[in-house]
Parts: sequence; structure tokens; C-alpha cells
Amino acid sequence: MKKRIILILTICCLILSFASCSNMNKTEGSITVAAASSLKNCLDDKVIPAFNAKYPNIKVQTTYDSSGKLQTQIEQGASVDVFMSAAMKQMTALDEKDLIAKGSIIQLLENKIVLIVPANSALGLTAFTDIVKADKIAIGDPESVPAGQYAKEALTNLNLWDGISVKASLGTNVTEVMNWVAEGSADAGIVYETDALSNANVKVVAVAPFGSVSKLIYPVGIIKGSENETAAKAFVEFLRTDEAMKIFKTYGFSAKK
Amino acid sequence: MGLLVDIKKRIKDFTLDVAFETYGDYIGILGASGCGKSMTLKCISGIETPDEGRIVLNGKVLFDHVKKINLKPQERNIGYLFQNYALFPHMTVEENIGIGLSCSKTEKEEKVSGMIASFHLQGMEKKYPNQLSGGQQQRVALARCIAYRPDVLLLDEPFSALDSHLKEQLQTEVLELLKLYHGEVLMVTHSRDEAYRFCKNLVIIDKGSSVLFGDTKGIFEQPRLLAAARLTGCKNISECEVMSPQRISAVDWDITLETEKTVPEKTKYVGIRAHEFEMIDADRAKEEKNTLKCRVSNIVEDVFEYNIFLENKILYKVKKVEWDSIKDKENLYLKIPEDSILLLEKQK
Amino acid sequence: MDLSPILISLKTASAAIAVTFLLGLFVASWIVKMKSEKTKMVLDGILTLPMVLPPTVVGFFLLIIFGVNRPIGKFLLDFMSVKIVFSWAATVIAAVVIAFPLMYRSARGAFEQVDQNLIMAARTLGMSETRIFWRIVMPLALPGVAAGAILSFARGLGEFGATAMIAGNIANKTRTLPLAIYAEVAAGNMQTAAYYVIVVLVISFIVVVSTNYFATKERKYIK
Repeated sequence: MKKRIILILTICCLILSFASCSNMNKTEGSITVAAASSLKNCLDDKVIPAFNAKYPNIKVQTTYDSSGKLQTQIEQGASVDVFMSAAMKQMTALDEKDLIAKGSIIQLLENKIVLIVPANSALGLTAFTDIVKADKIAIGDPESVPAGQYAKEALTNLNLWDGISVKASLGTNVTEVMNWVAEGSADAGIVYETDALSNANVKVVAVAPFGSVSKLIYPVGIIKGSENETAAKAFVEFLRTDEAMKIFKTYGFSAKK
Repeated sequence: MGLLVDIKKRIKDFTLDVAFETYGDYIGILGASGCGKSMTLKCISGIETPDEGRIVLNGKVLFDHVKKINLKPQERNIGYLFQNYALFPHMTVEENIGIGLSCSKTEKEEKVSGMIASFHLQGMEKKYPNQLSGGQQQRVALARCIAYRPDVLLLDEPFSALDSHLKEQLQTEVLELLKLYHGEVLMVTHSRDEAYRFCKNLVIIDKGSSVLFGDTKGIFEQPRLLAAARLTGCKNISECEVMSPQRISAVDWDITLETEKTVPEKTKYVGIRAHEFEMIDADRAKEEKNTLKCRVSNIVEDVFEYNIFLENKILYKVKKVEWDSIKDKENLYLKIPEDSILLLEKQK
Repeated sequence: MDLSPILISLKTASAAIAVTFLLGLFVASWIVKMKSEKTKMVLDGILTLPMVLPPTVVGFFLLIIFGVNRPIGKFLLDFMSVKIVFSWAATVIAAVVIAFPLMYRSARGAFEQVDQNLIMAARTLGMSETRIFWRIVMPLALPGVAAGAILSFARGLGEFGATAMIAGNIANKTRTLPLAIYAEVAAGNMQTAAYYVIVVLVISFIVVVSTNYFATKERKYIK
């Protein structure tokens, strides 16, 4: 008797799980988007609401952190459908591990890195290279934060990296770096232009000199084995539309040419 | 020289109101549990502070509410023997005894070994309190608070923590040891036997107030107050009505008593100690005053005496030998000697 | 492997326990002597808060105090040229604030366990309050106090949230073990992180075992 009940229950469970699979081909359901911290404001405030205006039946759940941490989480099996990182490095790493749906990687946006100081700073920094005049410096951890990677690249090319690296406080994501500078704990820091523009407690000193750093490319890709590929594809397609691009530009991003 | 205490203090359910004076004798503070006896000692020692009043020891003012004097316990030079001895568990006997002494090392060693000899603690110098018997602990505690020659010695129910079969022996020993101390001794107890044995003078405390103060033997003989009678162990107490200056009616026992002396108007109770009845025969009963028939309701046997409970609720304690020697218990009468009639007032 | 996080953490935790130990003892003995029960309760609540709050909340308050744009931090910077944030001292401050409640509670509990009669007896025997504290209360309270100290050391060692907020993550200066572990995991260097984790595990295990040992140690003079 017991065995029969277990058998019936098992069959019911299997049927139910197959039933939920049939959602795969509908533009509804929910998707999880993992994106770099620097994308948080524009995605949450404008882009996703605009997307939902067109696709009201797709629920978009988001998680923001440094691209490096998100990469680790995806590698460990986090159920993410769309990944937007702040550099090619993390996306390529996942692709090499065969975790990205083939051909779904699109280089979407470009960003720049800038030197910032607290809004009330009296240090008198005027050029990007003036960073050496600051005592407490904040940058992202080059090992895990793309903004940090780029900062290292730029500073290395300017022959400033050795001097800066010994006194720099390494943040585990760009938001942490921003907050350190905004609070005045750090005298100067390097973050994305998009971040600097959206925080009134910091002011931009200068953009990284042309040629000191490679292009900051923001790719987007669909995770292999995503449960709702259709909805994920719809989201990615929306990101490429003029409407979405307009929004990105108001936040300081530029379209990848 | 002496000790003057006159204090008031509000405690949870009642007010402590104690006043007495002593001049170098052993004085006992007798009262029921929870009546404020220990609190009185704590106030004298400075551990607690009264709300108002004065405490003067050998001419030195320890506490004066009006003059805002309140010496810390450390400054009062008193010795306090706690009920549970309060020996420092992490210190040896030697260290405990010497802790109150403030003198040079050699002097201290001398005094401590003197104390150890006087208190028969040889061989136990390096032991810890938990390795000692109850009696030994008490001796250490006593030695500790006598060592520095305090002006007054306060004993808080010193024998209540001891096994009863040891009590007698230890009481005698302690009495001997106390002779080594030459100052005031104040002993708090709820045992009338201890009070009678140790203390020349007695303070009776009833619900926080000192109601009676005087010579111990005198108080036992004539308690004069209801509370004092109870505390000194009078088992038969009855409400009474004063019918005439020489006649009273004991209401609870349904008997009338006649006295030669005049009965004070304020008399509200009458007491008779259980041992003080006299067994008489019917003939004498007819002729004498203050007799009653011995109608037994119940007999409870103790080791050496019987507790005869009469029908009118009187308790008569009599030695077994005496009771058994009476052949005619049906016609037995009891006489109450006039001296045994305790005329009691309710406390003021 | 970079050993500096281990050294920094040990340095920080040691400095923190020195401060926390004395502060905890002092405050606990002060509270125990207090007469008003209500005041005791309120103060106890405030002093225990850092232990119960999320470390980021504690970090938030520390920022409000020491941040250079905030009144006190600004004062320190302008008049004493002292900038607490992003300095090694900040790691110690964060550790002290987080670990203090543990030390305070352990010490207070240990003090309150001491038989009050012993203290009263000591007073009548003429011992000064200081002498009573060091010769009577402390020896008897020692197991509880020692256990508290060891636990506080470990808690200070493991402080993370508040530290990141006010001390930053500067290699060889404020990068403690917990910060290093977090950064290595974020960077995907699981093996390096694992080495650091093992160090923390070993230290924590020693801490827990010693705490139990002290708490239950039989002393020859207690039955």
C-alpha cells in the first residue's frame, strides 16, 4: 500500500515538472538577470520598467555585484538567465567553461573610467595623473572587479601602478569604492564615468587619458540551460533597441560601435 | 564605653525601628525570622545604611543622619561573623585569618599563629575552607574577625548553620573562645536557648521594632509583652478580660484566674509556661485558687517528657517519670502558681 | 602566499583584546555596583547592542562618528591631523566595538556570581574597594572573565562588516584575514582563500577549546 502511494506521488511530481517545462516557449514567466554594479541604477530605474511596459508578463529579478563575484556564483551553479558583465574577461571565462549559450554573447555598451574625489575635496587635483598626490586611494580589486582591472591597466600604462598599489584600498565592487570616496574616507578613487555622474557626493577630476586603457566593453550573454530562454532572448533583444540605448546614453554609457 | 543604637529604616514590608544601649556585656537580639535582626547588624556594621538615627560605638559616631555622618564599613572597626561564615574560598586558613590585619609581615605572622593556637587550628594553616568541617570553619571565621581587635563583635545567628548534635559542644567552645575577646558582643539569634545561655542582656524585636530591652533572665521570667512571651517560648497564651483588679478571665481556656497583685489595666493576654503547672489531687483543688481539672485530649511523647494537650487547649509538659507515677489520672488537677501567671500587654 | 593578512589580523586582535579586556572589566564592575535596576537594564541594553546588530549597522555608526565629513571626524582631522578612517587604528576600533559586549557580559556574569556575603565580609574586615576587587572578586570571577576574554579575542579576529566600511581594504595595512578571504573568493582564487580559512579555523578551534577548559576547570578550593 505504501509503495503504491509513493509511486503515484512520484508520477504526479514528474508530470508537474514536465508541465512547468512547457513554459519554455512562451514569453512569460520570470528571468534572473545578473549584472555588474555599475548597471544597477539604469537597469532598475528605467530600462527594466520600459521592458515590462512591452512585456508585462515577464518578471525580471535582478542581482548586482562585481562581475568577478557574479562569475563565481554562476560557476557554482546559481540559477541566472542573463549575465551582463562590465568587462569581457568574466564573460569569456564563463564561455570557455561552456556556461554561455552559444552565439548569445553581444558586446552591448561602452564605458569610461574616471578619477574622482569627494565633492568637497580641497586637494586641487586636475589631471588623471594627479592621483599620486592623494594619500588614501580607493580602486576596485583588479582580481575581481572590472573597474579595478581597467584602473590597473591605465595606471600601469602611465607608470604609476607600483606607487599606487601599495597604498590603495581595494574594494570588492565599484559601489564600495564609490562610497569610500563619497564619505571622504578615501581622498581619491577610480570608478566608471557612469557611476560618478549619478552620485552627487563625488566630483569627476578627469577621464583616463586616451590610449592608457583598452575599451571598456559591457557584454551581455544568455546562460546555457536557462529555463526560460525565450523570455531571456526577448530581454536581450530589447536591450539592443533604440529605446533602450537612449536610456543607457542618459546614464553615461555609449553604444559599442 | 558602649554601643548606642537608635535607627529607623524602611524595608519592604515593614519599618525597622530599633533602639538600645549596651555597656560591655553580651547582648542578644532575639526575634522571629525575617523581623529585621540581621538588618540591624548590617546597619551597625555599615553594610546597610539606615534612613535616620544614630549609631555610636565607644564614643565614636559611626552614623548620624542629622550630621550626615556615615562611616564606611572599612572605617568602623567592627567584627562581623556571618551566618554562613563568608570565608574566602580561594584563600587558606592562614590567609583568611590574616586578611583583616594591616601590619608588618612578621607581626602578621605572629598574630596569625597566635590565633591559630588559641582556636585549636594547628595543622590546618594551609587548608582551604572547603576542606574543613563546619565547626572548624566557624572557628576560622571567628578568629578572622577577632584578629584585628574590633571594637564590637557582631554574630549573626552563629549556631544556625551547625548540626544539632554538635551545637551544644560548639556553643561551649565558642563561649570559651569569646573570652579571648574583650569588647562588646552582639549576637543575633532566633533561638531562645542561645539567648538565655550567652547573653546577659536582651533586645526583643517584633516585626522590625525593638519592643523590649533589658536583663535576659528578667525578661524570661516576666516577659510583659505578648511578643516577648512568644519568643521566650511560652506555649500557652490566651486572650484575657480583666474582670476586676485581681481577677482575669482567660477566654481561650475558659478559666478564671485570681491574683494577689493588681492586674494592670492594659493587660490583654495571659501566658503560662507549659512546665509550670503543679499536679494536685482533688482535695487540694477544692481549697486552692487557680486550679483546673486535667482533662486530657491528646498526649504526644518526647524523649524525656510528655506533651499533655488538655481539652481546653492548654499544653502541659511533664517529665515522664512524674506523669507515670500518678496513679489516679481521672481525678487529677493542675494548679497554676501565681508567679507563673504572665500578664501580657500587646506591644506599643 | 601572502602572509600579511594573518599578521595584521593577529596584530589587530591583540590590540583589540588589550583594550576590550580592560574596558570590559571596568564597565562591568561599574554596572554591577549600580543601585538603580532600571538604569542597569537600559545601560546593559545599549552596551550589548553591537553584539546583536548586524556589523554593517555598527559600521554605519562608526562612519557617522569617524567619517571625515562628520562632526567628530572633521574635528579630529582639522585640529589633531588625525584621520581614523582607512587607518590600521580603524581595524582595532571596529574589533573593539564588536567584541566589547562579549567581554562585558562575561565579566558581569562572572562578577555577579561572586557571593555578595564575601564582599560584605571583606568590607567589614577593612579591605578597600580596590583591594576587594583584585584580591576577592577577580580571583573568584577568573574562569568567567578568562572565557570572556578568549571569546572576545576570537570575535575581534573575525570582524568583517564594520572593518571594511571604516578601515578599507589596504594590503599590508588594513587587509585583515576576513577581508582577504572575501577578496580571494570574489576573485575566484578559491585555493588561496582556503589557506586563509584554515588559519582562521585553527585559531577559532583553539579558542573554543580553551574557553571550555577555563569555564569548567576544577579548582582545588571549590567543592
